[in-house]
Amino acid sequence: MPKPVLAYIRAIDAMNRFIGRIAMYLIFVLVGVLLWSSISKTLFSPSHWTLETAQFVMVAYYVLGGPYSIQLGSNVRMDLFYGGWSNKQKAWMDAFTVFFLMFYLGVLLYGGLSSFAYSLGQPYNVGTYEFFGDLIRTLFTQGFDAAGEKLGHLERSSTAWRPHLWPVKSLLCLGIFLMLLQCLAELFRDLGRIKGEAI
Amino acid sequence: MSYDMIAILMFASMMLMLLTGQRVFGAIGFVGAAAGMLLWGTGGVEIPFSAAMKLMKWYPLLTLPMFIFMGYVLSESKIADDLYKMFHVWMGPVKGGLAIGTIGLMVLISAMNGLSVAGMAIGATIALPELLRRGYDKIMVTGVIQAGSSLGILVPPSVVLVLYAMIARQPVGQLWLAGVVPGLMMATMFIIYIYVRCRLQPELGPPLPEEERNVSMAEKLRLLRAGLLPLVIFAAMMVPFVKGWTSLVESSAIGAMTAFLAAIVKGRMTRAVFETSVRSTLAISCMFMWIILAALGFGAIFDGLGAVKAIESLFTDQLNLNPWMILILMQLSFIVMGTFLDDTAMLVIVAPLYVPLVGELGFDLIWYGVLYTITTQIAYMTPPFGYNLFLMRAMAPPEIGLRDIYISIIPFALVMVVALSLVMIFPQIALWLPDYVYGK
Repeated sequence: MPKPVLAYIRAIDAMNRFIGRIAMYLIFVLVGVLLWSSISKTLFSPSHWTLETAQFVMVAYYVLGGPYSIQLGSNVRMDLFYGGWSNKQKAWMDAFTVFFLMFYLGVLLYGGLSSFAYSLGQPYNVGTYEFFGDLIRTLFTQGFDAAGEKLGHLERSSTAWRPHLWPVKSLLCLGIFLMLLQCLAELFRDLGRIKGEAI
Repeated sequence: MSYDMIAILMFASMMLMLLTGQRVFGAIGFVGAAAGMLLWGTGGVEIPFSAAMKLMKWYPLLTLPMFIFMGYVLSESKIADDLYKMFHVWMGPVKGGLAIGTIGLMVLISAMNGLSVAGMAIGATIALPELLRRGYDKIMVTGVIQAGSSLGILVPPSVVLVLYAMIARQPVGQLWLAGVVPGLMMATMFIIYIYVRCRLQPELGPPLPEEERNVSMAEKLRLLRAGLLPLVIFAAMMVPFVKGWTSLVESSAIGAMTAFLAAIVKGRMTRAVFETSVRSTLAISCMFMWIILAALGFGAIFDGLGAVKAIESLFTDQLNLNPWMILILMQLSFIVMGTFLDDTAMLVIVAPLYVPLVGELGFDLIWYGVLYTITTQIAYMTPPFGYNLFLMRAMAPPEIGLRDIYISIIPFALVMVVALSLVMIFPQIALWLPDYVYGK
């Protein structure tokens, strides 16, 4: 395996493991929010932010924890044939079928980015990537306030609390992107296995 | 392209993708995404992502990580060990009593968590060695643990029913209540089977020897306290929910917290236990969530392209079957699929196909939820590819081979089929309790 590929695998593994280990503890945040919700409901007036906060935490939990769960090998496979193959045969098949997985993640990311752009108030006559490009260019050349001017009507959830939706959508895009990076690392790992190098 | 062709094409390519052994969520997600791009037209590309928003907004799904966490805390911290001792001492003197006690243990564990894995782990690591040591027949014992642990998905809180509720758009509370009576009925049927069998063939389940039976009454009563733990956890969860103080999701958080605190109080929450339970919760929750995400996208596209209608017309118009025959046919195909499909995959694939059809045929979807769960239970443990079978093989001591495991489940699977038929013929077994509580 070329050195840069090895470095890539190590870097992605370390980063996703780090993020996943943080996401892992979000279960306690989730418990806390829901407990607060039941306490406040019984003792005084119910807080209307708890439900959606819990949902946002759950999204962060599974989407940021996803790449780590791939590292842990917890994503089930149908092992009717797969279970009987040798490690090398498995690596061959995975190196091929992981592209289907990456295609799916790509479609998810595409939809995610367009939904993210919508939540930032993308004008209807501007394309998604044009909008993001313009936004990032303005941010770097003219600073934060000027970039803020570029945003349109920010999408809000249609509940009493009315939170903005862009934070959770950006989180989803980030998580899906990390998944893609992890899948690429898995592909390299399988290629290594085919050549007989365990990484 | 005709609707029939789309249905066949999507289904066949999904099966093919699954057979390659790629991660289930990738296989399902890919077929959904590709069909969305090729067959849908404008906007089809965005459906897989919009499933993520649907997933987020579906409130009861929050119970999933809670119950998974709870299950891991219970099985990893081994606070259920005392429960086994309780049944051991109280039920031991009866012929086959330890096996009957194990079913009781499984019912209690099922009432504390929503998956069958925790029951299986506790049964295989605690009960199984004890029963073998006391001369119980190994095939009998293996069957008892597999059948007993499968109750975990029928007795509330049940994760399978939560997932079903999402797909069928039915209230989780009613579904859970509907699972109570059939679950207890099935446990009773297992117990009757074990009792009768051990009466006829006492060598299968000998009573405890005299010296072991000699436990003082004080000691016996002390052990009974172990039974308080599941009661406390179950009550902490269910009382506020039934009283209407908390929602289902909030109750699940209370349950998770109670189990966690109980493990701390009992001094069982070591660093290793903490690490394993928190990490496994993330791993299993992520697995479930990503599969549901992919399946929701697949389902939306499959349904939107008219494939569900195609299957429906195949059954009703072309084959000219009456609703009951269709229902029985569906359950049969479900069991067949369950023998070679992974359980979670099956859950999310079969439900979107069958549930709308059941609704169209005019059956009660709460009642069907119970049928669906019992069928899943049977499918889980039927050879050659039941999920529980492999779990059992992984956890059981080496003297129990795959052959023993295969043979062991036959009588229990038959009992379950009888239970399934009973619920089918008498829907009131399932519907009585929810009707009574919700006063329909």
